[in-house]
Amino acid sequence: MAAAKKLMSVRRDWRERDVRVVLAALIIAVATVATIALFASQLQRTLVSSASSFLAADRQLEAENGRPIPDAWLQEAADQGLKTGRMVEFSTMVFGDENFQLVSVKAVSNEYPLRGDIEIQRNPTGTRELVNQGPGPGEVWINPRLLRLLDLEVGESLEVGNLNLTVSGLLIREPDGGFRLSALAPRVMMHVDDVAATGVIQEGSRVEYVYLFAGDEAALESYYQWLEPRLEPSHEWAGVRDGETFSRSLERAERFLLLGGSLAVLLAAVAVAVASRQYALSQRDTVALLKTLGLSGAGIGGLYLKRLALWGVTGIVGGLLVAMPLYWLLIHMLSQVLERPVEFQLDPSALVPALLTALVSLFAFAYPPVRRLRNVPAMRVLRSQPGETGREALPDMIIAIVAVFGLVWMYAGELALVVSLLGGLALLLGALGLVGWLLVATLRKVRGGGNAWRLALVGLYRHRRASLSQIAVFAMTLMLAATLILVRTSLLTDWQAQLPDDAPNHFLINIAPEAVEDVDSFWQERGQPLDKLYPMVRGRLTELNGQPVKETVSKDENVNALNRELNLTWMSALPDDNEIVEGAWFGENQKEGVSVEAELAGKLGLSLGDELTFTIGSEKVTEAVTSIRTVQWDSMKPNFYMAFPPEGGLTEMPATWITSFYLPKDKKDALNEFSRQFPTVSVLEIDHVIERIQEIVRQVTQAIEAILALILAAALVVMAAVVSATLQDRQREGALLRTLGGRQRLLVRSTMLEFALLGGFAGVLGVVAAEAAVWALQFRMFEGTFQWHWHVVLPIPIVSAVVLALFGRWQLRPVLSVSPMLLLRRLE
Amino acid sequence: MNQMTNVNPDSQSPMLRVDNLTHRVSVETDTLTILQGVTLEINRGESVAIVGRSGSGKTTLLGLLAGLDTPSEGTVELDGSVISKLSEDERAKLRAHRVGFVFQSFQLLPALTALENVMLPLELAGMASPEKRARELLERVGLGERLTHTPRQLSGGEQQRVAIARAFASEPLILFADEPTGNLDNRTGQAVSDLLMALNREQGTTLVMVTHDEHLAARCNRQFHIEAGVLSEPEAAQEMAH
Ligand SMILES: Nc1ncnc2c1ncn2[C@@H]1O[C@H](COP(=O)(O)OP(=O)(O)O)[C@@H](O)[C@H]1O
Ligand SMILES: [Mg+2]
Repeated sequence: MAAAKKLMSVRRDWRERDVRVVLAALIIAVATVATIALFASQLQRTLVSSASSFLAADRQLEAENGRPIPDAWLQEAADQGLKTGRMVEFSTMVFGDENFQLVSVKAVSNEYPLRGDIEIQRNPTGTRELVNQGPGPGEVWINPRLLRLLDLEVGESLEVGNLNLTVSGLLIREPDGGFRLSALAPRVMMHVDDVAATGVIQEGSRVEYVYLFAGDEAALESYYQWLEPRLEPSHEWAGVRDGETFSRSLERAERFLLLGGSLAVLLAAVAVAVASRQYALSQRDTVALLKTLGLSGAGIGGLYLKRLALWGVTGIVGGLLVAMPLYWLLIHMLSQVLERPVEFQLDPSALVPALLTALVSLFAFAYPPVRRLRNVPAMRVLRSQPGETGREALPDMIIAIVAVFGLVWMYAGELALVVSLLGGLALLLGALGLVGWLLVATLRKVRGGGNAWRLALVGLYRHRRASLSQIAVFAMTLMLAATLILVRTSLLTDWQAQLPDDAPNHFLINIAPEAVEDVDSFWQERGQPLDKLYPMVRGRLTELNGQPVKETVSKDENVNALNRELNLTWMSALPDDNEIVEGAWFGENQKEGVSVEAELAGKLGLSLGDELTFTIGSEKVTEAVTSIRTVQWDSMKPNFYMAFPPEGGLTEMPATWITSFYLPKDKKDALNEFSRQFPTVSVLEIDHVIERIQEIVRQVTQAIEAILALILAAALVVMAAVVSATLQDRQREGALLRTLGGRQRLLVRSTMLEFALLGGFAGVLGVVAAEAAVWALQFRMFEGTFQWHWHVVLPIPIVSAVVLALFGRWQLRPVLSVSPMLLLRRLE
Repeated sequence: MNQMTNVNPDSQSPMLRVDNLTHRVSVETDTLTILQGVTLEINRGESVAIVGRSGSGKTTLLGLLAGLDTPSEGTVELDGSVISKLSEDERAKLRAHRVGFVFQSFQLLPALTALENVMLPLELAGMASPEKRARELLERVGLGERLTHTPRQLSGGEQQRVAIARAFASEPLILFADEPTGNLDNRTGQAVSDLLMALNREQGTTLVMVTHDEHLAARCNRQFHIEAGVLSEPEAAQEMAH
């Protein structure tokens, strides 16, 4: 069947504009969805592992009782296939040549870190490097500030207890240095085997033994099952969940990516639908002829089905080919951010959405108009027959909408997203119905004439069917694009608000009550005022309504807050970024009650009035829950699970004070002076962590922008598909107008005006619908507060009007450059 | 020969028998009667012209005769099969094997070459060695040198010759032509109609041709006139035919 086969070949297809649009739309859809899904799944894995690197392991076991755990526990872990490591943390004085300094020592075994890397410098001017092992025996790595404080140089020796260790590196960042308030600065890192020889650790010294575990989730879980009954209250088992402070930002980025992907799917589906309908219309003559020549309806159906399958294969293969370099690029960016190689891993399950997208677009959008081709009457070959009224397309449209929103739902896993977008679309179509009615009612009376405006309006009226469906598709496209731009904007604004350039990057911990004022004025004098100072009491939640808390809380809820000491505080005013969700904040002179953080309250199943008992040292404090409040964990400020009123349950308890503040890089030397003046206050430097987060946010922003560009490209394809659909009609009209003596300038002006009106209309509708969708979305998906963003989206109607006007002008080109006679012949 | 299987066993029956054919279409609120009470019989091997003014219903009648459409009333019997009793697919099959067409607007597929356009119906009818047959036909219509040209590269007259080659390629029993010279200038039209008549004679095909070209009509065995949907056969023409 050489001729018939050729009639159906993809190579020939490619020469047809409508087929090109269908294929381009399919390729873009598959590429976008595949790229995003691959990247999202990689990001997911990376998030977990970078969260793990906050612990330098998958799990940590801390012994706060100053005693190592039995060797058998580690042996058991090894037997269960887990990797293990050890560290010992303690504070001590170290001595340089002349000076001495209180430092926080972390002595690590060879295995440390099991996850993440240590960043060091071999000398003060050297480059930073990442290593995955701590200092060897006999060596020590120190915080660069110590060089100055102790008047030391790299290569000289540092006296730790009875032992002299050689300074072989400067410690820039340790993976688990993050937010652990118990860490004492400045840091000195040494080998764990040297600890005994220092003689620093005596009976009763304050020392923490920390054990690291890494392995697959099942093994970790089964080890914990074994371990749990053996744990004492002073043992704290910690998982990655505690380290994910900053991963929340990235989770939102991931959601944005998913949203972007969903919108890309919608756009591509619209493009496929428009183009394939157009294609089907253009095939009617061929089909009529084939029928006349004796091909049966089934034969026609089979022919086009085969063709559709070929498109599908082309779209999928092409899309995946485009996706690979894009994905590679994103991975490359990610690995730069994380400063470690990220594997180029093709998770097959991440390709499923892309394949489904292609299939659904093909069968829910491209197939229906093509299927109806078999109903084209053969008589058409003799005389053109009444075309489709659009009524036949209605059931198809319903199927298509259900299919595509099902797809989006499956893909983003958010019913809220589907409902918001559907709501926006419904609003849009409603508004469009109104506009259509107005168009017919008002424009009917306008008559053409020598005036471009009139001609444009008459044009709109004459093409009202095509105009309305064009406006519908443009508006939908613009709505989806605007939604994405809006979400991106609010996402970035949120991040900026959350991590401004002067976000607190140092914590001061362990400030004795009597030193609070001096500390405050120390920084005041240096122009770096402290944020609010909070008292902090370490205590454990032990009873709930008189029952031991470990019994009342169900076992499968692994509530880490119960496994360790909590930071308790008292305060009179609710911090700005906290929000009461239940109950009421403490009144003026209230002395009873406790305010609980919302997430923890949820996990423990707490409600107002529940009695909580805390064990603080040897004391017990019992208070009823009077309010539940949300906390911004990623605010880089001290945050507390439990807050008491001033002079409430905590007043008698031994408290130290904590605060955070912003210290620019060039003023870091002030920390040395501070440490000398307040040797017992711990300084927690998280500036490197913050820098990293900011860098990650920057890069993720870039990724988001890249995706946005991809999606806007999809939008353009849709627009092109729609406009080119009426290309021939318009050219014929233009030619006729010229033949009848219309001046070129008039023709150009009225056409551009008509398209500008179309684009402007669609733009306004799309933007309004997008604002509505985003309004709904923000509450459910991005936890943001809604603001109108007119300044962000205002350009959209303008740009779409201008672009369409230019597009209209461009379409007219052949009409203007050739003699009308020739043109009519050619367009016949 | 392939053709033999297509011949109705009762080869004495007329090729085409039309009985009291009426066709109406509904236009908005009205029904329009386009054809009224058309009755005619066409024997095998005859050539018949249907002449009438534009809008008189010629094309509609041709479409009904060829089974491209079904009438509102009356019957069309084509080579022994009553068309309105066949399903659409059965009619398609009938056309594939026994019916050829030539159109006013040529109706070649622009994507295919001349050769492929001629091969297409042969392939659809499942005939053996379609390419060889298509080449023969194109050579016969004088386009042996233009096999690989697409319709766009051919003049109107050449396109119509390709269409004629296509129509005769599958050796149809009956050929329908709707104003085959309508889009051509006089001289080209003359050449095309010569070709059409010649091939028709060579193959012994039954020819039903719609035209408003009196000269072309005069070259057929019989002539019918149609006016406002009513068909009549002038006496003179009838006598000539008998
Ligand atoms: N489907 C239809 N709907 C409305 N009018 C039709 C339809 N088909 C044919 N007509 C009308 O019937 C008349 C005969 O048409 P046609 O058979 O094409 O005439 P001819 O071929 O003789 O010029 C014309 O007036 C035409 O407009
Ligand atoms: Mg006609």
